[in-house]
Amino acid sequence: MRFRKYALLLGVLLTSLLLLTVQTRGGGQTRAGDVLAFALNPLQSALAKIHRGALGTWHVFTDWRAVRAENTALRADNERMRVQSLQAREIDEENRRLRRLLSLRDRLPLTTLTGEIIGREGGGWARSLTVNRGRTDGIAQQMPAIVPEGLVGRVAQVRTGASVVQLLNDPTSTVGAVVQRTRTAGLVEGEPSGGLRFKFMARDGADVTPGDLIVTSGVGTLFPKGIPVGRVTAIEDKGSALFHFAVVAPAVDFARVEEVLLLTGQSTQDVAGLFIPGG
Amino acid sequence: MRLSLLLMAFGGSLAQSSVVPSWSIAGITPDLPLILTALIALRRGPETGCLVGFASGLFQDVASGGLLGVQALSRALVGFGVGFLPGKLTVNHPVVQVPGLVILTVAEGLFRFGLLQLFHYPAKLNALIVHVILPQALYNGFIGAASILAFEAAQTLRRRQTWI
Repeated sequence: MRFRKYALLLGVLLTSLLLLTVQTRGGGQTRAGDVLAFALNPLQSALAKIHRGALGTWHVFTDWRAVRAENTALRADNERMRVQSLQAREIDEENRRLRRLLSLRDRLPLTTLTGEIIGREGGGWARSLTVNRGRTDGIAQQMPAIVPEGLVGRVAQVRTGASVVQLLNDPTSTVGAVVQRTRTAGLVEGEPSGGLRFKFMARDGADVTPGDLIVTSGVGTLFPKGIPVGRVTAIEDKGSALFHFAVVAPAVDFARVEEVLLLTGQSTQDVAGLFIPGG
Repeated sequence: MRLSLLLMAFGGSLAQSSVVPSWSIAGITPDLPLILTALIALRRGPETGCLVGFASGLFQDVASGGLLGVQALSRALVGFGVGFLPGKLTVNHPVVQVPGLVILTVAEGLFRFGLLQLFHYPAKLNALIVHVILPQALYNGFIGAASILAFEAAQTLRRRQTWI
């Protein structure tokens, strides 16, 4: 029993030396070497397969982890860059709008105040915009609100820090206007559908045709003369009726207005030539 | 029990040729089967240490494609020798085990070099010591320390579960 461990060691030593001797003598071509190779080759082959499989699995796992980490980082980068791109586009768009507004303000022979839209009402019963300029800024009722494309409406209510601008297409809105080409006078009224119509006397308006530009008339000194209101798209001829109506497409897309110029001064000058198509 | 030890030796050798290469630092990898042999021999004695060392060494010889028997012999001697230590020296403490593992790796490397010299191994000893044996010995010490800590933690957990 005491010598068992030494016998084991001796056995292991002899086996190892035998293995080494078998391999070195005769260059591995001896019968014993062949037998050993025959016995070990399947094991070696199986081990190599397992090794390759384990290594492959390990590589797949490490690759998967790396790809996942990279994917997460790229997604975060993508999200951040998308937000930055949106912010840049928004700033760019705002910059473009403000430049156009500033350009119009410089061209107009009127004192103006820039206002930012902070609220909208468009339910159909009333159509208005809330502007961040109010009594403290010197805003008064009936002041016109314009953008580079044309007339937006007029100030209907004035509060301390804000004003409500009634839009042209509000059903209760009425603006004195003329057809720029024929000088046919009439009234532009808002409709519940959200559109505009130009009401004029039949005897004066025989020559009004689709495409004609309608501008403010300047009568009554509320609106300066010549601010674009819209273009005629159709004529509603009522036969022998006293008044005819023209369907008008507004010059301004009210849904996209974000800043306005509030006209705080008056002028009798025709400003139609100062409104350049496209701002 | 012996089968589980053989499986452990086989698993260590398999890990050595599959997972361990990815732990390579400047081309040096730890010798996991040697660490396993030493740790098992410390706990199970010279006979088990010798057998586990022989089996894991043989597996490594087969996997590496080198001379069959070189690592089998050197590991068997390591297992046998380390198996005697608990009765002669105080080797239960990790502070002894970790430097012991470093010294053991160096001794095994030197023995293996000596054995390979019989078969006209061409490399120089000083180059082997600087570039292979010493770095691997240090790496083995580090892995051995981690293994001992893991083993102790597992045993503590087992004791707690027994109490419950």
